[in-house]
Formats: sequence, structure tokens, C-alpha cells
Amino acid sequence: MKVTGMDEIPLIRLRDVTKVYHLESGDFTALKNVSLDIMENEFVAIMGPSGSGKSTIMNQLGILDVPTTGELYIDGKNVADMTPLERTHMRRDTIGYVFQRFYLIPLLSAYENVEYPLILRYKHRDTSGKASAVLRSVGFDEQMSAHRPNQLSGGQQQRVAIARALVNDPKIILCDEPSGNLDRKTGLQIMDLLADLHQKGKTVILVTHDPKIAEYAHRTIELDDGRIIAS
Amino acid sequence: MRSLLASIGIVIGVVAISSMGMLGANMQLSVKEQLSSNVNTVMISSDVVRTTNTAGNPVTSQGVTKSQLNDIRNAAGTNVVIPIHRTNTQFTIGSTDGRGSIYGLEPDDIEKFLTLETGEIPRGANDAVVGSNVATNFNLAIGTRIKIGPANTENRPAIRVSGILPARGFASDGINTDNAIIVTDTWYTDHFGNKDVYDQVNVIVKNVDTITDVETAIDEKVNRRSDVIRISDASSRLTSITQTLGTITTFILAIGGISLVVAAVSIFNVMMMSVNERVHEIGILLSIGTEKGEVRRMFLYEAFILGIIGAGVGGICSLVIGYSVVSAMIGNTAYFFMPDSILYVPYGMVIGIVVCVASGLYPAWKASNMDPIDALRSE
Repeated sequence: MKVTGMDEIPLIRLRDVTKVYHLESGDFTALKNVSLDIMENEFVAIMGPSGSGKSTIMNQLGILDVPTTGELYIDGKNVADMTPLERTHMRRDTIGYVFQRFYLIPLLSAYENVEYPLILRYKHRDTSGKASAVLRSVGFDEQMSAHRPNQLSGGQQQRVAIARALVNDPKIILCDEPSGNLDRKTGLQIMDLLADLHQKGKTVILVTHDPKIAEYAHRTIELDDGRIIAS
Repeated sequence: MRSLLASIGIVIGVVAISSMGMLGANMQLSVKEQLSSNVNTVMISSDVVRTTNTAGNPVTSQGVTKSQLNDIRNAAGTNVVIPIHRTNTQFTIGSTDGRGSIYGLEPDDIEKFLTLETGEIPRGANDAVVGSNVATNFNLAIGTRIKIGPANTENRPAIRVSGILPARGFASDGINTDNAIIVTDTWYTDHFGNKDVYDQVNVIVKNVDTITDVETAIDEKVNRRSDVIRISDASSRLTSITQTLGTITTFILAIGGISLVVAAVSIFNVMMMSVNERVHEIGILLSIGTEKGEVRRMFLYEAFILGIIGAGVGGICSLVIGYSVVSAMIGNTAYFFMPDSILYVPYGMVIGIVVCVASGLYPAWKASNMDPIDALRSE
């Protein structure tokens, strides 16, 4: 359900979200009563030291995981009420995930990696040229698109990963330390690309511990020990 | 490479199942063919076991009478009916005496179930055909004369050898020719009497599968009032032999099946390794929105492809190997391409593919039910 007054209804809403991991050494609470609203077309950076719960909150936002208690709404839907298949479809259609280590499929070419989510969604190979168009928008020509990930530099691989995240036109782009594995200059180029996507209307949420990177965002959320200490 | 080896397992399994199945089927078909020429005969003789019938009246005849023969002919329909006279007697060739059976047969009937080695069937009234033992023991040739009857009798009738039969062995139609002399029915009745009473009547059925129907028809026609004739055949031998062969075929199929089980284990192993190696990749797929069912199908598809390759190669191999095995062990490939035999190839192939996909079920299920976060973390 799309609500017109986008200022009132947040795209993402966390209410009292707690995430407990049951480990052999005992229960570990990674998130403690986190409440947070993110509006459409925000550019949010989530910062905090290691173990502060950054990755856990990203996993919740990417619905790779569900909260132990509390409620999480994405695009107006309560994640807890969705079937596993609906969550899979939301991951495919509404969320684009960019990983620190790119996570491209090594056997597929850059083009095929980008085309893959389209095949998942439309159940046939891309005939619209959308994969090529998205690749061009991140600076990949046809010749480069034919390369396999291991023939590409880190920055190039991250561009392919961003193209893959974008190809199904998601509302939300989640980036887990997108420049963490890149040199400074390449990292900043990737950030320019993300800023550009935000300009085009995407909601961008990124996790980083680099304040320079966080400066690109319009809002910074600081986590420590599973709690929000600044927003 | 590993997948290739696992596929070879399937190849071997398919080859084992189909070539062993074909071997069994060929064995069955050729034995059945060989036997059915022997067991397609219904033997009818007078019921000499009982000398009185149920009402207390004596059984008058010691043979099958002319009217009973007509009833048999009517009941047998288009099948061949052969009335036979038979006795035992002495005979003399040159100066050597011998003893053996004498059969009296219509000349035309001889060719209906016997094949001559040399010579021809009796043409003249005194012509006769001799069995192989008689011919060898007495050095008989076409044209030799044989005096029939006890050696001390005066004016013994003589017959002339017009043909010699090959060795027949113990015949299941009751006509053991090896130690016999076959004369024309006219000659027989002229010298031994019993013109209208036959010692045995054989009915050769055209289709061995209908033998029971023919027997029933004759039984109903002739034994209407009381059991006056005995009807028997050797087809139960065929049944029991084909049943035995069937059991042997099942047994060797089971041995072939064991190799498929081994192949299944190796396919399972390969699929599990393939899943374990690709945990990270599976994590990526799941995290970018691949449905569980799609991941599952991906691995099942892989198992299916392995199965198709294995079964395809196995199918071709089993044609080649099956053909060689059949020709080496049975020495006759005439039945190889008959449906009963050749069908084992597609059977084997389908079983191979099914085994392959079945071995991929658990690995595929395991892959699709991974936790994407854990899967992504593993590297």
C-alpha cells in the first residue's frame, strides 16, 4: 500500500526492536529496544564501533533476519506478518543490497550478475536492455560487462554490485561498508555514485565507521552496544 | 571432474541394469522359442489307467477310436491333428536282428512335425523312414531293406528305407523316433491290424498360448459322458522353465541395482560437496531475493543433468555391451531388438535418472534452507 503523504508514513519503521542471538556461551542481545523511522528519499549513515549492532540492524532492514521482539515495518508492511516467500520477494523487488565484499557470483560475467535479479523477478532473460542500461549508468561499457568478477578491480566489482542492487528499481539501497574494501579514491567515487542515486530519489542507508564517508549522508545514526545513542 | 566420476557411476548402473535385463530377456525369449516347438503338442491317448468307467462298465477300447478321432478333429479346429499307430517289434537288416518301435503315420503327417536328414518321406507303399540310432547302428542308407517281425517268422514283410531322421532325443510329444521305424499308416494296419483304433493322437497347436483352450475343447467334446481319453502336454515344463528364468533375471537385475545404489551414494556425495562448496554463493543468491524453490530446483536440475548425461552414455554403452554379452553368452542375437529385450535400455535409463534426482533431493533441500546470513559469512 503506497501512502501519498510520504512525510507522515515512514518507509522504514522500527518499534522497540530487540534482537537476541542464542549462542553456546549464552544469549547475546545485539539490538536493545531500537526505535527508528526512515523516510523515503533519506540518505542515512549508521555508525558505531564493531559489535555495536550495525550489521544486525542492516540484516533486519534487509529482512535477512527478523526481530526477536518489537516491530519492523518496511514499505508499510509488518515484516513479522509476511510469509518467507513474501520476504524473499520484498528482498528482490524493494531492497537493493550492496555488500562490503561485493559478493558477485564468480562464474557469471558482470552483465549476467546484473541480469540475474531481473531473471529472478520476470522468470526470463532480460530482453529490455535494462541490465545494460544500469551497467552504463555505473560506467560499464559492453566490453567491460563481458568480464568475470575476477578480471575486474575492486572498484569495478563494487560498481557491478551496485548495478545489480539497482536493476530491479528498488526503493531502498542498503550498503554495508560499501567502500570498506576499496582504496580511498575509489571509495569516494563509489560514494559519489550513491549520492547520485539519492539525488534520483532512492532511499540510501549505509553502514560505515569512516566519518568521512558518513559526511555524504544527511543523517547519521550512532549505535553503541545495541542502542541508538545519537540520531 | 567429480561430477564426471559420479556420472560414470550412473553410466555403470544403467549399463548393469539394462544389459543384465536384456541378457535375461534374451535368455527367456530364446529358451521359450526353443522349447515351444517341443511343447506345442497335445498328446491324447486312451484312458488305459482305469479299466472301468465310473458307472462300472468296462472301457471297451484300448486306443482312440475313429469316432473319437473325428470328435478331436472337430474340437481342434484349424490345429494339426495327427493320429498315430505304434507298437514294438523285432526286425532284421541283412543278417543282423534288431528291436525297436514301429510307428504308423500318414505320409503327409510326417513332415508336419519331423524333418528328414536325408532322403524323402515314404512315397510307395513299402517305404519307411528310420530314426538316427537305427540308421547309425545298422549302417542304413537310402534303399536298404528291412524285414519286419520276429526273426524266426517265415515270409516277413520288408520295407525300404526312403529317408533318415536326425537325432531327436527324448521328445515331449511322445514320438521317440531315434530307435524307431516309421511306416505308412496303410502298411502298418495291413500288417498289425487295429485299423480304426489309434494308440495316440497328437494335436499340434499353432499358437502355444492357446494350448489350454484346445485341450479344454477336446476334453468337453470327447470326455462328455465319462473320461475315455487322457489329454496331456508338456507346456507346464515351459511355464516352469520361463518362471525359473524370470527369477534368474530378477536376481541379476538386483545385482545391477546394487551398482545403481553405489552410484546413488556417489551422486549424493558429489551433490553434498557441491552444496558445501557453494554455501557462500547460495548465501548471495538467497540474500538478493532468490526463492528457496529456485535454489532447490537449481540443485535438482544439476542432479538431473548428471543423470541425463549418465543415462545417455549408459544407454549407448548398454546397447553395445548388452549386444556383446548377449551374443557371447547366448550366442543368438535374434531377440536382442525385440521389445521385451530392448525395453530394458529405456527402463535402465529412466531408473538411472530417477536415482540421480532422488540422490539430489536432500542436498537441494539443504541448500535452499540455509540461513542467508550464515551462508554469506562462510568463506
